[in-house]
Amino acid sequence: MSKPIIDAQNLTAAYGSITALKGVSLSVEKGEIFGLLGPNGAGKSTLLACVEGLHKPNQGSVHIGGINVQSDSTATKRQLGIQLQRTALMDDLTVAELVEVYAALYEVYLTSGQINDLLARFDLVEKRNVLARRLSGGQQQRLALAVAIANDPQIVLLDEPTSALDPHARRAVWDIVRQLHDEGRTIVLTTHAMEEAEALCGRIAIIDRGQIVACDTPAALIANLQLNSMLKATVELPLDQVRSLPDVSNARYTGQHLEMETARPEVTLTALHELAGRSGRSIRDVMLRQPNLEDVFLKLTGHALAESN
Amino acid sequence: MKRFLILTKAMTLMHLRNGYVLFWNFTFPVLLMFIYGAVMSQYMDYMTPGVIVLNALSFGLVSSSTMMLEMREKSVLRRLQATPLPAVQLIGSYLLVNVIIGVLQSTLIILAGVVLYDVPVTATSLLLSYPMILAGMLAFMALGGIISGMAAKAGSATAVGMTIYFLLMFISDMVFPLDMLPDWLRNVVPYLPAYPVVQLVRSAMLEATLDPKWLTHLFLLAAYGIGATFIAAKLFRWEPKA
Ligand SMILES: Nc1ncnc2c1ncn2[C@@H]1O[C@H](COP(=O)(O)OP(=O)(O)OP(=O)(O)O)[C@@H](O)[C@H]1O
Ligand SMILES: [Mg+2]
Repeated sequence: MSKPIIDAQNLTAAYGSITALKGVSLSVEKGEIFGLLGPNGAGKSTLLACVEGLHKPNQGSVHIGGINVQSDSTATKRQLGIQLQRTALMDDLTVAELVEVYAALYEVYLTSGQINDLLARFDLVEKRNVLARRLSGGQQQRLALAVAIANDPQIVLLDEPTSALDPHARRAVWDIVRQLHDEGRTIVLTTHAMEEAEALCGRIAIIDRGQIVACDTPAALIANLQLNSMLKATVELPLDQVRSLPDVSNARYTGQHLEMETARPEVTLTALHELAGRSGRSIRDVMLRQPNLEDVFLKLTGHALAESN
Repeated sequence: MKRFLILTKAMTLMHLRNGYVLFWNFTFPVLLMFIYGAVMSQYMDYMTPGVIVLNALSFGLVSSSTMMLEMREKSVLRRLQATPLPAVQLIGSYLLVNVIIGVLQSTLIILAGVVLYDVPVTATSLLLSYPMILAGMLAFMALGGIISGMAAKAGSATAVGMTIYFLLMFISDMVFPLDMLPDWLRNVVPYLPAYPVVQLVRSAMLEATLDPKWLTHLFLLAAYGIGATFIAAKLFRWEPKA
């Protein structure tokens, strides 16, 4: 492997008495889409803040393109395009003014044509002369993305770029992220949606309670744990009885769906039918699915992704 | 330099488009003149310099920080901190815009004085007054910077700034003559930041001369200004206190 473009070593970071990162090491290769997947409060934003030079770690170091963030943050900031979790632009400026100003802060001076081209990518051309605070939430999020790449950065750090978006807008952002990747840029994004991490990222670091618990490609993360298939059904049965069915290695409820990890789904299903029959319950919506990152997360941390730290 | 200009243009637009900031910056000074004019219209020659300093004081201690505190609270500053923009340029650009606003306010007050109350001004008196007003304003803004740096929230910065403003307003020879004060206070007041500005601006505007003690006054102001700038720079924060 070549030298990583982002190299974080043994980061410890705290806010007063709260330790947000506990010895995190991470390296991102040039040109990959790297995902930080973890629940609320896991430390994703703090990790990005250390890379961005916004938070001074108590221990450890971050290098970007070989330059140490702590010793020359101006040089490392110059290489980055940034979207913070809380969009905080100067919202008394218009869309076009904002793009112009943020590019200029990096000493990149855009012509009016270049600003238009950039806005076109984010479907914001008609909003060119609208004040940022008059945009809808989704439009503001797209504007934040446009601003993030206004300086034509090689590395783009996106903190929950799709959190406030509806499914359609979310896919549009995924397309943009893929385009940025196709242009050869390195992208690091955070998310707590496992389908987003799976759909976009070449590699994922699973982060929980300030620690990276696993880091690999989505496929390898799933394969390495040798999880069995998941049998899903809508039925109300006591979990302890379900767990004692043949070949069931684990069972849980997600909403009203019963999910069972099983080595031999057909055997388990037959037994489940018998159990339901004895209990006078009916089974609906039976389905078999492959294990996903959600299962990996549960296995590694002992709690679900949706539960915050 | 180009970066600084584009940033300053953006800062100017933000100030002009913020209704609240605009109201306080440009209506308040004229309102002050109407109020004082209504109460003591025959003394407006004497009062106008006082009103100018009064306004400079409230602007420097409170209003000039409003937008900066808002940007800090809304995490705009944090987003700016993530760019390679040096902090000096950010603060320099912000100060430039605010100094221009402050000078415009003073001009509005002088205009109101001349038009409404026949306050006599000459080219010389104006030429002498503006540098004195500017010197006072800069010192007050530096002191305002300390308040913003120490205050956890924009609201508490305003409260502290207003309190100091009111205290200084009553004792600094702006609206009440100094001999109304008790002896001990009268001896302290000349060393507080507002008093020297009042003396400097008053003799410049009314007599078109320098106050006999102008050197002492300016020296004191410089001491306040430089000292406060130094402390304000140390206290500057990109984020609100947790
Ligand atoms: N400014 C702050 N002051 C104090 N504590 C903080 C601050 N920012 C984060 N924390 C704490 O640090 C821990 C990690 O927070 P962080 O924002 O990095 O998590 P996250 O993974 O980004 O979560 P989310 O998905 O909710 O954005 C949390 O316990 C949080 O409460
Ligand atoms: Mg976060």
